[in-house]
Amino acid sequence: MPDVQALVNDFVNKLRKRKIEGSQATARHTAEFLRSVISQQRIPYTNQAGALIDSVKAVGEQLIAANPVELAVGNVVRRVLHIIREEDLSLTTAAIGDLNISDGSDDDENDRDDRPVLSAAALAAAARKTLRPPSLHTLLEDVPNATIVPLSSSGGDSEGKCKSADKSSRIRKLKHDVIEAVNELIQDIDTCHEQIAEQAVEHIHQNEVILTLGRSRTVMEFLCAAKEKKRSFRVFVAEGAPRYQGHVLAKELVARGLQTTVITDSAVFAMISRVNMVIVGAHAIMANGGLIAPVGLNMVALAAQRHAVPFVVVAGSHKLCPLYPHNPEVLLNELKSPSDLLDFGEFSDCLDFGSGNGEPQLHVVNPTFDYVPPNLVSLFITDTGGHNPSYMYRLIADYYSADDLVLQRKSAAGN
Amino acid sequence: MWYRSPSFILDNQEQEKFLLRQQLDQQNDDVLNPPPPPSMSEISIQNPNPNISAYYQTRAAHHAVVTSDWLAQAQAAVSGGVTGEDTVEKVEEDDRVVEKGESVIEEFNSWRKQPDLAEAVAAIRALASVIRSSKATTMMELEIELKKASDSLKSWDATSISLTAACDLFMRYVTRTSALEYEDFNSARSRLMERAEKFGEISYKARRIISMLSQDFIFDGCTILVHGFSRVVLEVLKTAAQNKKSFRVFCTEGRPDRTGLRFSNEMAKLDVPVKLLIDSAVAYSMDEVDMVFVGADGVVESGGIINMMGTYQIALVAHSLNKPVYVAAESYKFARLYPLDQKDMAPALRPIDFGVPVPSKVEIEKSARDYTPPQYLTLLFTDLGVLTPSVVSDELIQLYL
Repeated sequence: MPDVQALVNDFVNKLRKRKIEGSQATARHTAEFLRSVISQQRIPYTNQAGALIDSVKAVGEQLIAANPVELAVGNVVRRVLHIIREEDLSLTTAAIGDLNISDGSDDDENDRDDRPVLSAAALAAAARKTLRPPSLHTLLEDVPNATIVPLSSSGGDSEGKCKSADKSSRIRKLKHDVIEAVNELIQDIDTCHEQIAEQAVEHIHQNEVILTLGRSRTVMEFLCAAKEKKRSFRVFVAEGAPRYQGHVLAKELVARGLQTTVITDSAVFAMISRVNMVIVGAHAIMANGGLIAPVGLNMVALAAQRHAVPFVVVAGSHKLCPLYPHNPEVLLNELKSPSDLLDFGEFSDCLDFGSGNGEPQLHVVNPTFDYVPPNLVSLFITDTGGHNPSYMYRLIADYYSADDLVLQRKSAAGN
Repeated sequence: MWYRSPSFILDNQEQEKFLLRQQLDQQNDDVLNPPPPPSMSEISIQNPNPNISAYYQTRAAHHAVVTSDWLAQAQAAVSGGVTGEDTVEKVEEDDRVVEKGESVIEEFNSWRKQPDLAEAVAAIRALASVIRSSKATTMMELEIELKKASDSLKSWDATSISLTAACDLFMRYVTRTSALEYEDFNSARSRLMERAEKFGEISYKARRIISMLSQDFIFDGCTILVHGFSRVVLEVLKTAAQNKKSFRVFCTEGRPDRTGLRFSNEMAKLDVPVKLLIDSAVAYSMDEVDMVFVGADGVVESGGIINMMGTYQIALVAHSLNKPVYVAAESYKFARLYPLDQKDMAPALRPIDFGVPVPSKVEIEKSARDYTPPQYLTLLFTDLGVLTPSVVSDELIQLYL
């Protein structure tokens, strides 16, 4: 498929050159891109889901490698893989129901299975378990090895006996269902702001003082939603050096008629005692409930904890990442250009490589992200509601299937 | 101002007097009329040596570098136990009364003697032998028999957490597995037996999974503090060494079992730089440490762990210096316990050799393990994946609801 590979290269280049930035935009683009990959994928007659999963996985690995810091890419790839698995499962369970009726007459089908044929319900139950993460339930029965192999082979083989018209309709059905579900995912990513903003009135009360840092669209819509519901409150905006996105946010908030105060990042500790709640956005939420967030937020979180101010994080579910952070300060960070901090013209003599021992005297480090440990976060507000940091793994278990985590992890380690 | 009451001293004195009186009574009794032969079930159900927990004996035999003095003691204890069991067996054969509870314990003991076998595996194999020898013809009968066997196994050694957890897990499997409902009795029975036989494999696989999962967390140039001798932790570090990671290991000495000596020995075999610390040097060296790695005897419902004595204080020190504490434990060690504090569980007693005679009036703390609450643990590496402590209770609730 040369055309798909060209598309992949194009998208990878965009990611690599940071033409697409921000987790929502990246998530959306990735989902749309994967949808086009799926729709162009030719599907073999047997093991269609396997072929789809393989191709999505192969593309996904390239995308993740293009920008490993943008965790939303990996999240969406895993979500799409999970969708394919689920759709395949719902189709096979339906098909097995049909198969089982014809099973009695089909003698060689029985011969091939060395064990007595279980009922369709039992098989479906076993298959459903593979989608879930491993648990104590399944510890004693190794389902993935024993039950699933005969399941897929019986599905694939007996299908060969069916009429070809029936078959092609099933293939189209799987692809159609998957694309439908991916469309839903894209819609979810688009509308996550509104769903989060709906909950704003429950959290923001009259005459409260809210502190935020930098600019996050989710936070902006959250605050505006509360304003629209006739809540009057005051917002402190820390400017979010070095990109000063807080200035932009302050402008937007004032345009919507909110009382806004701009403070420097270093003034957070001075102001925190007057604040009732800290509401911030995030870059990604890790599986342990920790947070990858714009730089400076760890300081805000520590200040909030010191003064027992609730630290609330608003984030769409596409930011939920099933990985555990290990050494996040280094591995999940990105160093941006020093031009954000310093003017090259003024500092050019300090940055001169020619002077002294060939190394500039002045170094500039401009990290993009902070890691906020889970114990500093009071509440996560996602499109499905408010959750405790320790509950994040549960959401992750719902959105992703366990097989994909491990595979991605291996590929990530290889890169 | 409230002062602590001196009741503990008075209580002790009372108890001593009571014991003394009892001994005297017994002696008088012995003179007057010889003691009746103890009934069969009592002997075998009770631990042969109540002062040393059976759980601890196996552990010591498997892992510990044992002092010669203690070896003699242990041998005396074991030989006493064995002869007791032998006689029981003979009497049993004579009377042709086959008590399920007793045979399962023997089976369990023979399995647990194998040094590379986890206690849970021994328990499940013992239960499998019950299924094999059972003459039950329905699932219900088999279940009842198994329940009896597992109860007697549990009560025989209440101190072993993974034994209890494994028995519970297997019973749950027998009663709850949906696949069993669709089969006839004989195939269900053989399926159960097959699963039980394979459990050793599962346990081995679990260790492999755990060591794979934890590789990401061991970075080049890190220093790892290890407490106790855990097979899983050893496997984790072995894999890391095989993956050419360069790291350094600190081992606590692990008095009085000297588990650290054996662990450091294993590390030296792998060419990993290793340093031995005395147990009291943990806080002193903690600033050099990047992470703490411990195993677990049992993971309890709160997400905390029960592990070798000293784990709690190491976790406290690590927590106060902001170092992550990682626990490597197989998921069959998840137990339905909820200890509220250190004394809220059956203590596993062990002998402690101080090298010099200790006056009889001096009390000795003999418990072999302590409870580390979940807030001091960072992550648990299990074969179910990397978990935060709060996930453990969720898993257990899902299984036993």
